Amino acid sequence: MAPGAANAVTDATKQEPIDLRRRPRMTETFIQGFLFLCAVLSIFTTVGIVYELSKESLDFFTRQLWEDTNKPLAANIDAGATTFKVSTSGSTLHEGDIVRVNNEVMELAALDGQTVTVARGLQGTEVVPHEAGIDIFRSNTVSLREFFGGTKWNPQIGQFGIWPLVNSTLMVSTIAMLVALPLGLGVAIYLSEYASNRARSTLKPILEVLAGIPTVVYGYFALTFMTPLLRSILGRDVVEIYNTASAGIVIGVLIIPLVSSMSEDALSAVPRSLREASYGLGATKLETAVRVVVPAALSGITAAFIIAISRAIGETMIVAIAAGAGPNFTLNPFESAETMTGHIVRISGGDISYDSIDYNSIFAIGLMLFFMTLALNVIGQRVVHRYREAYE
Amino acid sequence: MNTDRTLPSPEERIEEESFFPHNLPRRHRSASIWRRVFQASTVVGIVALLALLYNIVNQAFGLVAVQNEKEPEALVLAANEDKMLAATNVVSSEDDNELVRRIAGNPNAVGFFGYAYGYAYGYACYEQSADTLKALAVDGVAPTADTVDSGEYPLARPLYVYTTSNIMQEKSQVADFVDYYLTYVDEEIDDVGYFPAKPEALQLAKEKWLGAVGQESHSELPDVDPKSVSGEIVMAGSSTVYPLSARIVQRFRAEGYASRITVDNIGTTAGFRRFCVDGEADIVNASRPIKPAEAQACRKIGRDPIAFRVGTDAVAVVVSQENDFATSATTGELAVAFTAAQTWSDVKPDWPATEIERFIPGADSGTLDFLAETVFDMRLQDLPKETLVSILQANVSKGLFRRFESEQPFAERSQQNVFQLVQERVVAPEVQDTWSLYDSLFQRSQIEADIIEDYPEAHLEFRSWIHGSFVTSPQSKDPEDAGVRTAVLGSLWTILITLLTAFPIGVGAAIYLEEYANRESRLNRIIQTNINNLAGVPSIIYGLLGLAIFVRALGALTSGVAFGAHDPTTANGRTILSAGMTLGLLILPLIIINAQEAIRAVPSSLRQASFGLGATKWQTIWYHVLPNAIPGILTGTILAVSRAIGETAPLIVVGASTYITVDPDGPFSKFTTLPIQIYQWTARPQDEFRSIAAAAIIVLLILLLSLNAAAVLLRNRFARRL
Repeated sequence: MAPGAANAVTDATKQEPIDLRRRPRMTETFIQGFLFLCAVLSIFTTVGIVYELSKESLDFFTRQLWEDTNKPLAANIDAGATTFKVSTSGSTLHEGDIVRVNNEVMELAALDGQTVTVARGLQGTEVVPHEAGIDIFRSNTVSLREFFGGTKWNPQIGQFGIWPLVNSTLMVSTIAMLVALPLGLGVAIYLSEYASNRARSTLKPILEVLAGIPTVVYGYFALTFMTPLLRSILGRDVVEIYNTASAGIVIGVLIIPLVSSMSEDALSAVPRSLREASYGLGATKLETAVRVVVPAALSGITAAFIIAISRAIGETMIVAIAAGAGPNFTLNPFESAETMTGHIVRISGGDISYDSIDYNSIFAIGLMLFFMTLALNVIGQRVVHRYREAYE
Repeated sequence: MNTDRTLPSPEERIEEESFFPHNLPRRHRSASIWRRVFQASTVVGIVALLALLYNIVNQAFGLVAVQNEKEPEALVLAANEDKMLAATNVVSSEDDNELVRRIAGNPNAVGFFGYAYGYAYGYACYEQSADTLKALAVDGVAPTADTVDSGEYPLARPLYVYTTSNIMQEKSQVADFVDYYLTYVDEEIDDVGYFPAKPEALQLAKEKWLGAVGQESHSELPDVDPKSVSGEIVMAGSSTVYPLSARIVQRFRAEGYASRITVDNIGTTAGFRRFCVDGEADIVNASRPIKPAEAQACRKIGRDPIAFRVGTDAVAVVVSQENDFATSATTGELAVAFTAAQTWSDVKPDWPATEIERFIPGADSGTLDFLAETVFDMRLQDLPKETLVSILQANVSKGLFRRFESEQPFAERSQQNVFQLVQERVVAPEVQDTWSLYDSLFQRSQIEADIIEDYPEAHLEFRSWIHGSFVTSPQSKDPEDAGVRTAVLGSLWTILITLLTAFPIGVGAAIYLEEYANRESRLNRIIQTNINNLAGVPSIIYGLLGLAIFVRALGALTSGVAFGAHDPTTANGRTILSAGMTLGLLILPLIIINAQEAIRAVPSSLRQASFGLGATKWQTIWYHVLPNAIPGILTGTILAVSRAIGETAPLIVVGASTYITVDPDGPFSKFTTLPIQIYQWTARPQDEFRSIAAAAIIVLLILLLSLNAAAVLLRNRFARRL
């Protein structure tokens, strides 16, 4: 604009028509690109979660971990021998085990006391002679069948059944839901159908405080209040210091606000006309609430329940503090039993070394947890979606 | 309800009409019952919240039993006695005769000894020497039989024997001996050198005896013939009562009692412990009344102690008859007279300025202890610095003392500082047991009885586990000294990183989704669904993600090695940066969803007006949409941040340090946070750790509460401005 503003204006009006074409704006494009990246990052997060969990889990299921059986060879064996003796007998070797001597991998075809029969040179390893006194290593691989079929979880000695952890997770969640569903729904019905505006505006924030308290505080509450309470009611021999019941009850308390506020949203979304029609037919307030409003809001309430279950399954600190350490396959809620989340916390507390069996196992558990909660969340959102369409 | 679909026949309708009024009250009843049920579930929720808060407060405050390595009272007493013995012009002698002799002829002398103690053993004592000595009134009370007995005279203490009616009924020899004791104590007490108890007090004791053995009161004690008494008797307790009891025992034996009788000289407190806790002695000698807690402990083992007053002990402070100015002194003046005073005028200005000469019993004398206990009203923290230094020097090793000196010369240290050292190193209080607030308030007597039994050396004090130094001192293995400083700083650093990563990205994503994205596009719908799903992923999964990506894969960046900030202890990537970014990912969906709602709430007329004036899209967003949405965005962000502050599980997985005492100094430091600290303390079995965990929870809740308050304030402020 060297010639001056006035000149420029006259030039533009006199000589050239206004250029109305879209001009490229570098900054605007750049900003839009940046914002888009921000939004896409959330996808990367999901991808990252799925990728990392799957990768480490895959490792968990495929990698061979060699465990020393403390059974040295009794005598030198040459390349051709398929039957030889080990120096001690014992239960660490089984038929069908994959074993390793030096670098050579073999499969145990038969086992009779200290005498073993093997197929040699597996997995592309070279068949070579071995000297007496060399330890035999046994391969620990985790099969999906063992993972989903076993009832003992103890990775250190090669037991990889996920059921004890899943069982206690489900037990804690069930107890939590037994507490949270009736109470949460009761609160929702009271707040939406009975409470005066003033009562509602006082009670609701108080209940929401419950949702804002960190879960570690609830864990403390479970251990130092709920457990002693249970023990004094039911007896100290019945209830262990760490037990799933007290963790479950406290998780139930934690998710009451979640259930009640989502259910209340659903209840208040039911049009007034339905209630008035019900009153018009002579129904009492209870009959209106239970037979008209609740069924009309059922999809929303169901969604609340599903999301609450997912929250209970993923809850960590309460069970880590109050439910006890050590997997335990039991249906007794007063015994200690470690849940999936509790196990992850216990194993990863302290410096966990990469590529160890523990490291990989927590990712496998995490993957399972992720899919369980994801499935529940997706179902929950579907249900919410459907309910939203009902009255809009 | 399904049956209503078909119209009922006329007969049925009639039936319904008769049924209806009958049915109506039932319906109303059930309606009101259910109404109560719904109300109750709301109340249960609130009760749970109250129980949670109550539990925390209950654990964070309460009584503790503190056991000191050395009792502060004993240290003060020893220091004061040292001062008395080290004063100028002091003569200390175990021989009371010598004291009497030397004070008698010396108008400038002052001294003290048992008022009548030792008479029986041929010692000189004040009563014997009343013609040459005069006793000072203390705090305006002259030592006479009456003032001593009533306890008005400050340097006097009552003497008792304690037993129970059960023991007296089971062991007739004990009843007989107490009977004998009460009958003849007045004949002997003068000889031993104590004051006799008042006749009324002795009469009361006798009535108690009669009551205890189940006889009519107001009758006379039965005569006891020691020859006919058999069976063992065990007495234990006060060294002051000892000579009196020993004297009675001597007479009892002389008159024909042939069985074993023992009198253990172990002190009043130890005597009560043996009697009430161990249940061993039959009779306790006591130079003070039983404490309520001791009585409680006694009752717990089925012993209901009865006190028999047998006499009174007193210390006389004496000057020569030739001393014509001193007639009375306060306990405070006595403290000066026996320590710092050089001349009489130092004690009281109107006394002459002549040099004071002191004659006091020897260092091992109980009389010295008694006087020092009574006249020096001093607590450890009130002692002058020099005294504290000498206490420290006498009680810690030379090496340690030199180390303190070299850290900071004692000359430069404050009294406060030296007191702290004495408190930590010499007194060394250690909590033996803790009680909740509820128990402390409502079961105090029970607790007191328990500690006499379990921790006889300990004393009870009320403790608030949350206090100033709890917030300012770092983590420690000792729950007494442990604080949350490291954890709070760790939390703040982590949250800073979380905010720096999650806020710009979250708001950016929200702007994109609300202002730019085409809602119908498949990609954008996936993004939106994905964000909603991420909000429901359990936090521990984010921990696993952080462990795999930030700690392991990006370890070189997050440990600071790539930036040259190499610290070998954090080179594995378990740093504040990793923790903060993990939490950032965790709260990102929350920030996005909240920010989206805030942006959506900005009326589109604003945008259209801006576009109409020729503004570009970004100008519209930056100058019009964001300023209007910012209160909502900030509120949402603060709420998300308070969620992040309370998160524990993901940080444990990412690798929080279990024990660090060094303040974090940057994003590449090792970290611990407040919730992790709470978790670690809660996981420990000792009660004290539970209590400091409760204190840390209070700190955490206050932090969260102030954040939420800040959110409300911020929103109001911005809302006004716009």
